Order: sequence, then structure tokens, then C-alpha cells
Amino acid sequence: MIEVRQLVKSFGDVRALGGVDFTVEEGEIFGLLGPNGAGKTTTISIIAGLLDADSGTVRIAGLDNRRDAKRVKEMLGVVPQDIALYEELSGRANLHFWGGLYGLSGKRLREEADRVLELVGLAERGNDPVREYSGGMKRRLNLSAGLIHRPKVILLDEPTLGIDPQARLTILDIIRDGVSEGMTAIYTTHYLEEAEKLCDRIAIIDRGRILAQGTLAELVKLAGEGNLVTVSGAFSIEQVNPLLSGVAVEHLENGSLRMLVPGQRELSGALGRLFSAGISIGEVSIQEPSLEGVFIKLTGKELRD
Amino acid sequence: MNKILLIVRNDMRRRLRNPLSIVCMLFIPLGLTLVVGLVFGGHGEVAISHIPVLLVDNDKGIASRFLKQGMQQGKLAELVDVVEVDSVAGRALMDKGKASALIEIPKGFTSRILDRKPVEIGIVKNPQESFLPVVVEELAGTMAVMLDGITRIFAKPIGDTREMLDAGRWPTGEEMSGILAAARPRIALVREYLADSLVTLRSQTVSTPGEKPKAKFSIFALVMPGSILIGLLFIGEITMQDIVRERETGTLVRIAAGPIGGDQVIAGKIVSSFALTFLSCVLLVVIGRLGFRIDWGSPVELFVHLVGSILMCVGLMALLYGFIKSERAAQAVIPGFIIVICIFGGAMFPYETMGPAMQKAAHFSPAFWVIDGLKRISIEKSGWSGISRHLAIVYGVGVVASVAGAARLRGKLAARE
Repeated sequence: MIEVRQLVKSFGDVRALGGVDFTVEEGEIFGLLGPNGAGKTTTISIIAGLLDADSGTVRIAGLDNRRDAKRVKEMLGVVPQDIALYEELSGRANLHFWGGLYGLSGKRLREEADRVLELVGLAERGNDPVREYSGGMKRRLNLSAGLIHRPKVILLDEPTLGIDPQARLTILDIIRDGVSEGMTAIYTTHYLEEAEKLCDRIAIIDRGRILAQGTLAELVKLAGEGNLVTVSGAFSIEQVNPLLSGVAVEHLENGSLRMLVPGQRELSGALGRLFSAGISIGEVSIQEPSLEGVFIKLTGKELRD
Repeated sequence: MNKILLIVRNDMRRRLRNPLSIVCMLFIPLGLTLVVGLVFGGHGEVAISHIPVLLVDNDKGIASRFLKQGMQQGKLAELVDVVEVDSVAGRALMDKGKASALIEIPKGFTSRILDRKPVEIGIVKNPQESFLPVVVEELAGTMAVMLDGITRIFAKPIGDTREMLDAGRWPTGEEMSGILAAARPRIALVREYLADSLVTLRSQTVSTPGEKPKAKFSIFALVMPGSILIGLLFIGEITMQDIVRERETGTLVRIAAGPIGGDQVIAGKIVSSFALTFLSCVLLVVIGRLGFRIDWGSPVELFVHLVGSILMCVGLMALLYGFIKSERAAQAVIPGFIIVICIFGGAMFPYETMGPAMQKAAHFSPAFWVIDGLKRISIEKSGWSGISRHLAIVYGVGVVASVAGAARLRGKLAARE
């Protein structure tokens, strides 16, 4: 549905994108995960036709987004990072304006406005001025303005920025519901848990380059991560050390062991050897592979850096 | 076109929901006009009402009565209210600012005149007033000159009469015949001047057949064109400021992400700015007509000139905002620009009061052509020929500035870096 090929963009001497390349299938939620300044918004802006790339192409449903700009824009819904709404107008009046911009009018415009207000849980507050809304309500209305014309592709640029976790979960649910109606979405975020929960596939972007992309499982595998196993008990280093051949030990001291085990078979083998040797084990915890570990592995830094 | 109208309608709706800034800007021209008008009084027509004058007559003679009654005759009586008081009361009233001037005729005034000796009339002027005391001073001076002339011509007959008057009796018939006989040659000498003047001044306002008589000159009509221009520039500034503000809030970029051309977005914004400025202008003109009783002249000429003027104001603001990156920068730069072109153009200090060099410089300010055009339409009723150059300049500047401004603003639709 979306093909992004070798996007390059510089602002003066600063290279924002250095050859961004990815494909998004129809009905898929594709996550662009990266820290601030990684190039996520620049990528979204180029796809939306708001910025010209220095080189590279964007095709949406087979159409070039520059040559067929109007047709492409009719297919797109954009939810910007900013709360791009008219505060002095009511939520409904805002939706009427944004829907009108996409050619909706009359009864259909009113019905679609009612539908998205219901979808984002603002049906009862639709006639209130936006300035009276809470931050979370504004975010939800901001999202609904991008959904009112039932776009085939929706570009969501950090739509949960600056709101509390509960409101964030609500927005993620709305996006999941919206996309299940057949939409394709690109979702940028710097929240790992959002990408993990929402996205079918994820691209990790940093300094204008895609470092890796795939499903969560593929990314974890790509990075060579395994389960992080922590064992505590009444044992000494000398007792345990000979039993850990073939296991990546991250930390070992008397009574505490932390090791990285690639798969279930290796995990069973390692724990089996410890039990067979009569090692006194008090507690075992297993942490499954996470995107955070992948990100650190790929970039050498935590996402919040 | 529908998309442009959608933007215009949305902007109008937003302004109606939050009209405070526009209403505040409307108060600038109205306030300016009102203040200047009130300084010149009443309904704005420059008229001098009765001037209160105190007269202290310490003489009580023929000459002092001549002066006193002379100031209460004919047209002068419409201009001056003379109240006779004693010296102490007169000074006290002047201290309270109750009169424009106090005229004090000294004791022995008539005697000294008849004796052909120099004599002074005292005038005390009210320091709180600048204009009216000078009028009184000139009037008193004129009366003194007339009195001097009469006493010089009729010195002998007056001298003959004086003895009788001093004795407190009225002349007998024979004595009167003698006096008149003595005065006859002098009357004959000056009869040409004592009789009705050969040349009289008949003042009237010339009008051509079918032409409506011109309204009385109104100070508001002189002031309000400049005030209106200031208002239009500031209202144009507020409405164009939307582009910078919407860029900062993200709504402008969101509009540009929709299926609408960038040119349409900017056209929508300029048209909505024009529409709002036009509505404000109509309101100002109506208030000028109803509130300040300004005769705006030909409605067609006024409409055409104002449309060009609004186009110019909006175009200049679009051009300025094309170069300005943030709302804060706009607030720092644009009011200064407006004030400068308004000062040079005669919006704050009338063109007529400027020195020759400033008058030449005024022609380089687009504000001058708007204000002068409005004055020609409303005050001079000069017709199309009188404003043709004004229209050419105002429309020319308006179109060039709008096109250049739109081209600059087009670049603001790109996403922020």
C-alpha cells in the first residue's frame, strides 16, 4: 500500500533522512520507533506531501505522492503531533471543517462527524468549545479529525504525546478499532510499549536511518536476544560456574545469577543442570525479549536518551 | 473555489465566536475621531459660540458707553456675551475661569479721549483658553481704533457738547442748532463714509443647478479618513496574523495536508482577511455617518476607493507576514510599520499641517493616497477625476503587495523543520 524508497532530506547542513526505505502492506499498522530528532516527523511530512524530499520516492496505492498529489491526499488522513484544532470552535464545528476539506458535505458530513465523535467518546461534548476540553479529549478529537473522511491510509505522528497513560490506552484502542476497518496506518512514537502493543511491524529509526524493521519477533531475533533468566538461592560461584557452559552469563555472585538464554530448550537445559547438581534454588524469574533490549542493542543507547 | 469559501466561512465563524480583538481595533479609529472632534467641540463643526466677556466700566462716560454698546450690536452680539461687573467681582470671576477675557475701561477714559490724550484699555485674558481671548482682544482693539477715528473727526462738536454734558444738562434747541451747524462741514467731509457703503459684501455659497448644497464642514470628516486607515491596517494585521498563529498551532499545515492546493489555502486566508476588514470598514463608515454625521459623498466612489484601500491594507500585511516567522516577531515589527506609514501619510497629523518636506515625503506613503482620496470624496466632492490617481496607486499597491505576499506566504505551508 505504501512504498517509501530511499528518502533523503537535508535542512541546511543537517541531514534529517539518509535513505529511508520501507514498505507497508494494506491493513497493516506500521510503527516508526525512534527518539526525538530521529527523522520520524520528517518522514511522515514527506509522505503527506508537506515536505519535498531531496531524493527518493513515495508511492501510495501505486500513485506517486508528488505527481498525483491531489488523489493521494484524498486517500490520506493525517493526525499531526500538534493539536491542530480551532479552540474557539466546538468539537463538532471542527469536524465539519476538516470533513468539508475532504469533500464531505450535508447529511453525510453530519453523520460522519457524529460517527467519529462516538468513536472517540466525545459525542456528549461535541458542541462544547474545544478550549474547554482536557488534554486527552483534545488528543482524541485531533485523532477523529483525521478519521472523519474514512481515509485508506492514516499517518499518525505521535498522537499520544503529552497525555496520561490511561488516555493513551484509550487512543491506542481507538486506533486499533479504526484500522480494523481496513485502514493502513503509519504510527510514529518514541514509546516502546505503544509500538509493541499496536504495531504489526516496526521500523527502528535513528539519525535519519532505518536500523531494522520487521515484526516484533523478527526484530528480537535479528538482534539475537534471548530470555533473561534470574536465579537466586543458597549457592556459591564455585558451585554454579562449572554448570554454565554454553550459557551467556551476565552477572554472577554468591546467591545470585543472571543469564541470557536464547530459547526454551537452552533454558530447560541450564535449569536442569542446576537442579541435577543439587544447587539450592529459591526463585527463578524469566523475562521475555523486549523491544527496548533490541533498541539498545542496535543504537547503543536507551530510547529516552 | 468551494475550498476557498470553506476557509473563509470557517475564519468568519471563528472571528464571530471571538470578536474581541477586532472590536478592540475598531475602537482605535472611533476613539481617535471622537477625541479630536470633542477637542474642537460639539458635533464637529468648527463654530465659535458666545464668548463670555466681563466689562469693568470705571469711566461711565460717552466713550466707554460707545465701546460697551458697540460690542452688543448686530453680529457682534451673536458672538460676544458682555456682562458688566465691578473690578473686584470681575477679577474674582476671571480667577475662576468664568470668562474668556475681562475688559477694564479706566476712570477718566472719555475725558482723556476728548482731551486727545493717550489712554489704555486693560484686557485680562483667560490663560486656560488659547483662541477665544485673542478674538476678544482683536475686537476691543478694533473698537478702540473706531473710537479714535470718530473723536479725531468730531473733536470740535464733541468738545462743545462736552461742557453741557459735564454740567449735567441737555443742550437747548438753539445750542443744538449751533453744534450741528459747526459739525455740518465735517459731516459733509466724511458723509461718503457715514452713509451706506457703496460696496457691500454679500456672502453666499455657490452651487450649480441640480447640485445638492454642500454640507457644513465637519472636523470629523477631516479626522476620520486617517483614523479609518489606522483601523483597517490594524484589523488587516490581526486577520493576517492568523497565518503565523495557525502555522504555530499546526492547523495551517493540517489544511495543507488535505486535498487542496497551496494557492487555494493562501487565497482563502487573504480573502477571509479582506472580508473581515471590509465588514469592519463598513461598520466604521456607518458609525461615521450616523454617529459623527459625516457626509461621505458619492457611495459608488466611496465603495470603489474603500475596496482598493482594504486590498492595499490586506496586501501590505500579507507581504509583511510573508517575511515574518513568528507571532512574537510580528508583534514587535508590524505595529511600528503601521504607525510610521500612518504618520508619514497624514493619518495622525493632517497633511495640511505638515511642512513642505514632509508633504513631499507623504506622497511616498500609501496611507496618504487612501486618506487624501477619502477626503476628496467626502469633503471636496471632487468626483472620479479627483481620485483617479489615488485609485490607480491604491489598487496598484494592493494588487502588487497581495500577489507578492501570497507568494511569500505559500512557503509557510511547508511542515516545520
